Amino acid sequence: MIEFKDVNKWYGKLHVLNNINLKIEKGEVLVICGPSGSGKSTLIRCINRLEKIQKGEIMVNKTPVHQRSTNLTRLRAEIGFVFQQFHLYPHMTVMQNIMLAPVNVKHMARSQARQIAMEKLVQVGLTEKADAYPAQLSGGQQQRVAIARGLAMSPEIMLFDEPTSALDPEMIGEVLDVMVNLVSEGMTMCVVTHEMGFAKKVADRVLFMDEGKIIETGTPAQFFDNPKTERAADFIGKILTH
Amino acid sequence: MMAFYFARLVEIYPFFLKGLWMTSKIAFISLLTCTLLGFVLGIFRSGNNRILKFIIGIYVSFVRGTPFVVQIFIIFFILPEWGIQLEAFPAALLAMCIMGSAFICEIVAGGINAIPKGQWEAATSSGLSLIQQLRLVIVPQAMRVILPPLVGQYVLLIKDTSVVSVIGVMELTRVGWVTVVRIPEGLMVFSLVGILYFSISYPLILLSNYLERKMAV
Repeated sequence: MIEFKDVNKWYGKLHVLNNINLKIEKGEVLVICGPSGSGKSTLIRCINRLEKIQKGEIMVNKTPVHQRSTNLTRLRAEIGFVFQQFHLYPHMTVMQNIMLAPVNVKHMARSQARQIAMEKLVQVGLTEKADAYPAQLSGGQQQRVAIARGLAMSPEIMLFDEPTSALDPEMIGEVLDVMVNLVSEGMTMCVVTHEMGFAKKVADRVLFMDEGKIIETGTPAQFFDNPKTERAADFIGKILTH
Repeated sequence: MMAFYFARLVEIYPFFLKGLWMTSKIAFISLLTCTLLGFVLGIFRSGNNRILKFIIGIYVSFVRGTPFVVQIFIIFFILPEWGIQLEAFPAALLAMCIMGSAFICEIVAGGINAIPKGQWEAATSSGLSLIQQLRLVIVPQAMRVILPPLVGQYVLLIKDTSVVSVIGVMELTRVGWVTVVRIPEGLMVFSLVGILYFSISYPLILLSNYLERKMAV
């Protein structure tokens, strides 16, 4: 479903993505972890071309994302993206936030979009907040709305860029619960996170990155209990002990 | 004598109303056009096209760095030498539009740049086109930043219409000049001119203050 072929990206001299080769299958849940600055966020931001790559190929659903000529509007509509800082539209209510893309990108009738938005709010457990503005919500609630906003486009893939890193600890659980439910529905997911509990519970594969390279991949059990590389072992030790 | 001049002034009052009408006409048309142009320029100035940004930057700097009177003279006296002959009224409108759009461009670009990058990214990711991103997500938020200084700029532009009197457009200030020759009571004549300007700009000043308070919340 998603394929990276010899992908390279530089910020000036900094080699942020170094020869990335990666295949993500339909229905797979991939967790990407690694120290900050390792290129993991950049990696998933390349999937819907929030970041451009300089070398290599990225195919998503047979669409060549790396080609300049590709019109990405359609593809982006099929990929949900959840940001660390939520990025809800502050001038719109929760309902309007969720309805915006279905109405304007898919040209859905407002009544139908409203119905779908309501379904998604049920799914993330926030129906009572439909008419609230983002500023009136807690961080965890905002992130759940952001997930509902992504889901309202019926995406085939959901990308999560550190979805719980900006949250107070007591709100992390509610967001992870929503994500775990998504997994059980068979959604293809790419999650950049340090939530090892989540990775162990639902990931099909864990990918460890450092300095722009994929250092190792494996099932959560392999990766956490028997990391192949010293760097991965070191990293796991650090996030588990603190 | 004073009473006599006052009576004369009351007599030719319609002349002032004509001047006020001309000032309003210049102000209205030029504010409308320079707002439209200013928004387009401002959006490009805050955008990603470096060449366009650079050209607009030069345009803005030139307009902001030269006196308005000089700009009018260039349009009215120097352009004809290159074969572009304009009547006083369209020349005045053109000058106003060029100047106003440069200032409004900066206000609009500032407002758009104040919107966090994440808003663009969220809108991009959801599949909205660039125009939709601007129309639905970015500009509505930027308006909070743009509106108060924009209305303030309107007040300045309305007052700047007085400068076009130098090329003979019969607007309010010009009417004052012409009148003061016949009624040599400068204070009286120009007080009237001042009051008439104030009658258009004061409501806008109030609006600007109101918006500033409202948007600050």
